[in-house]
Amino acid sequence: MSDAPRQMYQVMIEAPIQAVWDALTKTDEVLPFFFGSVMRTPGLKPGAPIRMRSPDNKYTGVVGDVIEFDPPHRFSHTFRFTDFDDAPCKVIYELKETPRGTEFTLITEGVPVKSKTEKQMAQGGPFITKTLKDLVERGRPSFGTRMILLIIRLSAPFTPKRCLSKNWP
Amino acid sequence: MVSDDMDALFQALAHADRRRILDLVKSMPGCSVNDVTKYFPTSRIAVLKHVQVLERARLLVSRKEGRVRELYFNAAPIQLVYDRWTTEFSSFWAGTVTELKYVTEAIQAKNKQKAEP
Repeated sequence: MSDAPRQMYQVMIEAPIQAVWDALTKTDEVLPFFFGSVMRTPGLKPGAPIRMRSPDNKYTGVVGDVIEFDPPHRFSHTFRFTDFDDAPCKVIYELKETPRGTEFTLITEGVPVKSKTEKQMAQGGPFITKTLKDLVERGRPSFGTRMILLIIRLSAPFTPKRCLSKNWP
Repeated sequence: MVSDDMDALFQALAHADRRRILDLVKSMPGCSVNDVTKYFPTSRIAVLKHVQVLERARLLVSRKEGRVRELYFNAAPIQLVYDRWTTEFSSFWAGTVTELKYVTEAIQAKNKQKAEP
C-alpha cells in the first residue's frame, strides 16, 4: 500500500482522445465538469500556475501549479481549495486510447486524511468524471448536472470572503 | 453507459463476496489481491477471479506499482447508475427516507445491545 492515500475515478468516454483532451484543458471558458469555474493560467506548462475562478473572476475556488503537461495523455497539477487550510494535494488526469473510445482516469494523491478536502474530493471525483463524459459524448451536461450548476451560480454571493480572487493572485 | 457495461456492472454486484471485496478495497485504497484474500476462507485464485469480474465492470481499477498490483475502488460506474434513475427532486426525498432508515436502525441496534447483558 502506498503511503499517500490515492483515489481513482475512471470512465470510458465514447469519443476520440483529442476531443476529451481539448475539453479537459480548455482555459478561459466555463467548465461544467469543474463546477462551472473557468481555468485561468498564463499557459499550460510545467510550473505554470492555474486558478479555477468564477466566470466573473471575482472568486477563486482552487489554486495549483502544473506538474506535467503531456498532450493528449497526461496532465497533473497541485490542488488546493482556497476555503480550507489543508495542505495541497495532487490531481492527475490520464487519457488512454482504446478501440471503444477514451479511457479517462482522474487520480487524486496525497489528500490529507479525514480533511475537508478529502470529503470534497470524494464527492467531486465522480461528478467530474461523469460530467466530462456527458459533455464530450452529448455536447452538454445532464439535466441534473445543469441544475447543480445553476444552484452553484445562485449561491455565488454566499462564497466566503477568503475565496476572493484578490487573495489568490 | 452502454447496455453491455450495465450488464457487467450488475453481474459484478450480484455476488456477496464481490460486494465485500468492494468494501475492503474502498477502506484500503491501494491494497493488493493478497491483502484482500486474508479476509476470505477461499483461495487466492477464487478472490482473483472475483477481482477480475470487478475490474471488467470498472468497479475496481488496478495499477502496477513495482511488483505489486494495487487495487482501487472506482465510484464512477455507481454514479452513472444513480444518475440514470435519480433526479434532483427524487434524490432529496429518497435521501430523507434512507436517512430515516439509517437513524432508526442505529437506534434499534443500540437498544438491542443495551437489552443484551
